[in-house]
Amino acid sequence: MTAQPTPLKTALHWLGRQVSNHSNPMAYLDPLLGSIDPMLVRGSVAAKVVSIEEAARDTKTFVFRPAGHWSGFKPGQHLSLTVEIHGVRHTRTFSVSSPPDRWKQDREITLTIKRFPGGLVTHWMHDHLREGDILHLGDAFGDFLLPANPRPLLYIAGGSGITPILSQLATLGDSDYPKPVTLLYYVRTEADLVGARLLWDLEGRWRRFNLVVHTTDDGELLCRDHLPEDLSGHECYLCGPRGLMDLSAELLGQAGVPEEQQHSTFFSAPQVALESDELGGTVSFTRSGVEASGDGETSLLEMAEGAGLKPKHGCRMGVCHQCACTKKEGIVVSRLTGKSSLPGEETIQLCVTVPKGPVQIDI
Amino acid sequence: MEALNQQQLEGLNQTQLDSLARDLDALRDETLADLGERDARYIRGIVRLHRRMELAGRIMMPLGFIPPFFVAGALSLGIAKILENMEIGHNVMHGQYDWMNDPTLNSQTYEWDTICDADSWRLTHNYEHHTYTNIVGKDRDYGYDILRLDESHPWRPHHLLQPLKFAALSFFFQWGVALHELETRKLSKGQITLKDKKAFGRNLLRKSSRQVFKDYVFFPALTFPVAPFVIAGNLTANLIRNLWSSSVIFCGHFPDQAQSFSLAAYENESRGQWYYRQLTGSSNFTGPKWMHTLSGHLSYQVEHHVFPDIPAHRYPEIGKKIETICARYGIPYNTGPLLSQYGNVFKRILRRSLPNNLGWGRPKPA
Repeated sequence: MTAQPTPLKTALHWLGRQVSNHSNPMAYLDPLLGSIDPMLVRGSVAAKVVSIEEAARDTKTFVFRPAGHWSGFKPGQHLSLTVEIHGVRHTRTFSVSSPPDRWKQDREITLTIKRFPGGLVTHWMHDHLREGDILHLGDAFGDFLLPANPRPLLYIAGGSGITPILSQLATLGDSDYPKPVTLLYYVRTEADLVGARLLWDLEGRWRRFNLVVHTTDDGELLCRDHLPEDLSGHECYLCGPRGLMDLSAELLGQAGVPEEQQHSTFFSAPQVALESDELGGTVSFTRSGVEASGDGETSLLEMAEGAGLKPKHGCRMGVCHQCACTKKEGIVVSRLTGKSSLPGEETIQLCVTVPKGPVQIDI
Repeated sequence: MEALNQQQLEGLNQTQLDSLARDLDALRDETLADLGERDARYIRGIVRLHRRMELAGRIMMPLGFIPPFFVAGALSLGIAKILENMEIGHNVMHGQYDWMNDPTLNSQTYEWDTICDADSWRLTHNYEHHTYTNIVGKDRDYGYDILRLDESHPWRPHHLLQPLKFAALSFFFQWGVALHELETRKLSKGQITLKDKKAFGRNLLRKSSRQVFKDYVFFPALTFPVAPFVIAGNLTANLIRNLWSSSVIFCGHFPDQAQSFSLAAYENESRGQWYYRQLTGSSNFTGPKWMHTLSGHLSYQVEHHVFPDIPAHRYPEIGKKIETICARYGIPYNTGPLLSQYGNVFKRILRRSLPNNLGWGRPKPA
């Protein structure tokens, strides 16, 4: 819970803005504080890598100690993690896999991360991140949350989609949750099982917990027979690859579980046109709530204008950066260099870029 | 060096201009592809240096009643402001570090330590000046609407006061820059009215009162018994910054070797012509390394105008390649020591304060 800032705090913040010219005056001395100890910065939340553990095939669990002013999280939430690679900051979203109690007691959280095929950040974290390194975290967010009142729970997880569920299960197990909890966990092989130690441990000591692991390489694909017979009153939580999520939703619907009792969260960055070489795509201008589609000839600036928006711009030739803004997601191609961008959040110039697949722009 | 004559201006045909554009585009791509950790480390190092110098200046200033502390404090804060305005603010707002995705180094949100509001600067400098560089009547940086630099600009008696205006602009440079968007010439001709500038006026008021409050109310009040020394020290620091940055800026486009262009030159301009205009419209100056850093590498004005969004600390290494490219196409690469460039500007200001047919340097009969 965030407290209302006191009048004194508001006044100091105003004063800080006047004196520092920075919208976040707390960050003004960060360059100096950071050179003393990177954990001291106030403009963002630094987090130190405490340890790195193998979690499954191509999957590692990173244990972080966030700076004390981090605002914490609820089980099932995710956070954005910022890493700097060759001078460029990359921000990606990951689920917290540890329970909030561990943060409260030991000031530690864990992120369990699988190598993302074709990606940059996850591979870099696996290959280059070491104990003692510093990353930066954002506030936790997301509404993949436990029910306010105890209800029977059904989890359907696929692969590394288990991570937010691990945080919830650890929390439930420690609180001796009074209702039955079933986890259907789909992995390709046993080697892909994430969080095995926690899951076996919970199964051993928590009698209301029913764990079922299905290995899909052995043909154990999700079907109606896997679901508990009686689903009445169940809250259902889904997290995994798109195909599994769609099938789960369909089966649950057929079994009569209303939509408001189905909760799902994204599993990984959607594979936005990674394989596509075609230019053009649908662009959503998220702040204005407007969509437009382009053919790969029309710049994002022209698309925005065509959709009735009036984004700030200048030279229309890539010189002045007046139209620079944040691309939240998706790949864009520069008309000047012909180079494709990365899929994550970054600053782009509207006037010299065209979409390549679906793109989200923060204007 | 003589100003380019019309024949030389038309010396490159379109094929050569296209080839020039290809060469420069290749250099740009090569440099962009190489940006990385080195550049991030450089700019963060400068930001740290700025914070240290500002902190040192603010701490020494209250001891200003002891003369060496006054000098050191004012100098430290003055240099801090120079670094912040030139090497950090100006360059960050050009988008030179946008690729880092660092919110504190973002071109569109950065606000700097000078009277001029950052949004106003982004409009008048990044867009207008860098797009319409040296097009007489379109680029208002060319003479700032108040100086007569060219023979073609009709002489009026008030131009006799030009040397005084030049001095005033140098001393109060941050105010001149801040008022630039006001477009006084259009106002006086009645093409626009003050009403059109309402939003600008509001931002100007907000930003200028913030700056005045900081340097002349807040910090003096904080050190009340010695406030007069702090006020005097901050005034000196701002003056140091004004004189230095105006000198650097004047040397970028006002030396007579820098070419000016007519509006016709801009219409249907090809990429090669655009590059050509940027190359010939700017002037560099030479000097020791610290001088380049304190000028925000605007000492490499030619490189800056060709690639305004490439990190400026790269200009020295790019410069050698640009010079080679210029030589290949017979394009003059304008450069000279700072003092001689400044002397050239000063002479030009004096010369053009007089009618064309008076004074020295009259055009020789053909």
